Amino acid sequence: MSEFSPAFPRERSGTRWQTEVEVTHGIGLHARPSVAFTRLAKSFPCAIEVAVDGSADWLNGKSIVKIMGARIRRGTRLRIRAEGARAEEAIVALGELVRRNFDEDRKHGRPDGRPA
Amino acid sequence: MAAPMAGPRELRGKPASPGRALGPAFRAPAAAAPSLPAGGDARAALAAAVTLAIEELRVLAAGADAQSAGVLDFQIEMLLDEDMLEPALRRIARGEGAALAWAGAMDAHIATLVADSEAHDKDAFAESVEECSAGEDAFAENVEERAAGEDAFAENVEERAAGEDAFAENVEERGSGEDAFAARASDLADLKQRVLDALAGRARADFPEAAIYVGQDMPPSLFLAHDWSKGGGIALAAGSTVSHVAMLARARGVPMVIGLGPLAIPSGQPLLVDGSEGLVRLDPGEPVAEVLIPPAIPAAASVPPRAEPAVDAFRLSVNLNSLTDLDAVDPAAVDGVGLVRSEFLFLSPAEALSEERHVACYRRIVTRFAGRPVTLRLLDLGGDKALPGLIEGGPASLLGERGIRFLLAHPELARIQARAILRVAALGPVSVLLPMVTLPAEVTAMAKLFDEEAARLARLGVPVRRPPLGIMVEVPAAALTLDLFAEAAFFSVGTNDLMQYLSAAARDNPAVAPLNTGSETALFRLLAQISTAAHALGKPVSVCGDLAGDPEAVARLMALGFRDFSVAPSRLPALRALLRRPAMAEG
Repeated sequence: MSEFSPAFPRERSGTRWQTEVEVTHGIGLHARPSVAFTRLAKSFPCAIEVAVDGSADWLNGKSIVKIMGARIRRGTRLRIRAEGARAEEAIVALGELVRRNFDEDRKHGRPDGRPA
Repeated sequence: MAAPMAGPRELRGKPASPGRALGPAFRAPAAAAPSLPAGGDARAALAAAVTLAIEELRVLAAGADAQSAGVLDFQIEMLLDEDMLEPALRRIARGEGAALAWAGAMDAHIATLVADSEAHDKDAFAESVEECSAGEDAFAENVEERAAGEDAFAENVEERAAGEDAFAENVEERGSGEDAFAARASDLADLKQRVLDALAGRARADFPEAAIYVGQDMPPSLFLAHDWSKGGGIALAAGSTVSHVAMLARARGVPMVIGLGPLAIPSGQPLLVDGSEGLVRLDPGEPVAEVLIPPAIPAAASVPPRAEPAVDAFRLSVNLNSLTDLDAVDPAAVDGVGLVRSEFLFLSPAEALSEERHVACYRRIVTRFAGRPVTLRLLDLGGDKALPGLIEGGPASLLGERGIRFLLAHPELARIQARAILRVAALGPVSVLLPMVTLPAEVTAMAKLFDEEAARLARLGVPVRRPPLGIMVEVPAAALTLDLFAEAAFFSVGTNDLMQYLSAAARDNPAVAPLNTGSETALFRLLAQISTAAHALGKPVSVCGDLAGDPEAVARLMALGFRDFSVAPSRLPALRALLRRPAMAEG
């Protein structure tokens, strides 16, 4: 199960996988990064939740309303957890998306990474 | 009309709107009124509208540049999110129509964002606003922030160079990123409107221009959405001469025949509708040119400017059902607008829920009548005046949540209209008519609503004027107790509805129509009482129903002391002639 990013830090507890990343994007999770995040999350069958800065409040990672509502900014520690099919793959992919600054370096690409 | 020729078949009905029209039949879909899934299924209607909106956004996004696609993708994701729909579905579960539920839920969502932004004043919002308003600071700070990262500055510069509006975009993004209030609120407002449009789009099924509409009955919204300037007519199996659609047809000069009985006319069949004789001829076989009466808007063409001032003791105003009516009337030829049926100005829930759309309509009317009084009636929805998704209407609502009852039950809608009227009232003499008032408490409630909205707008520095509120006298309970309506500034008698509620006979049900028209004696006794009560109170009273457009009836009304009449544009010439006759004037 470790064919993806073996180096990416993650923990397992039972069937649940969890990781933590710092949001380094200059702005945080505004509209476009939120779209990229939730679209990627929705591509996985497992349940995905996020929590912000040690909060015990876990939010549905597939809901853009919830993600936007969390006002995730630069410097925020974002915990991502997933449970169910392809949970490990999901948290690695999402964690990497955050680390890659939501692929916004590709300035004029689409937020979900599809070519413009 | 000429005697029927050998070939053509004739169908006999009742005349509902005079004139003749020739054209191909348009057979209305079986259910007569194309509309959203009837009554119950507001959830399905909303789901369908959201799906449609998403499809539209996807089409737009596919053809958009990357930046626009980003915005559209964001909107798509919002619509795909169940959390977005949930509040609207809760409202639907409480019994609201799809459009109202959606608009209400979205407005609440937007209001939360604004409230949040106020709460976070010291926080990001203030910061973000400061940055956004002081462009240079924002740039400087942005550069600073980004310089923290190794390649951030270069990237930033690159970004700026790349897009012509990169700076604006960046500022916008910062707003979004740090708190997003303005940007998200406008996205939500955009989504709200798109879904409302989708709801309306499905409700509206227009038919070809110049066609003869053939169906069981015709919803007024369909009539209003159609372009009649190319001609056309209406042939109905059922219908009523006093229905709203018949009233609209007469005002617009569209020939209409009703009560034709079961119709087996296929679409495309050439038809001649003779609205004067109450006949429909199949395969008329006459050359179009000979038969076709120029459709025109006779109301418009036939209103000659007033040659001499009307006898002062009388006031003759005009009723407006649409902005087309407005263009057709010479403001100098009338004393003002006695009744704007505002519910006919808005063809979809999206329009009815748009404050700016209200303002635009009212402003046009008030501006055109420069200085002459304009009486706007609040939305009288219900009965045969439905806005699918907002209110489904139907015969049951004639004795249910109609007019002011519906507005007080859905104050969001009433407040939208109140704000628009308050704003436009600052531009000219506007007064407001409340439809379907039964009890004085309803006037009190609406007055409070107007006062609250006036105070709110005034606090925001918006120029407003609180217009006087009058009531429609159309519910017998109110008609019999005018002395209790101290809060009403004036009265306007809606004779059509008063008649149907007095006779307990629906005006658009052909089976009982004779009972309706036969109750004239009762109506005139009540009218006498209304006139006496209004004069005793010293409050203005006018008559704005169809009765005021009938010269014979007007003579009787004048004998009862009525002096103020408001009629359809097409009735102006007849009334003007009548009121100019000295004998009449003395009566």
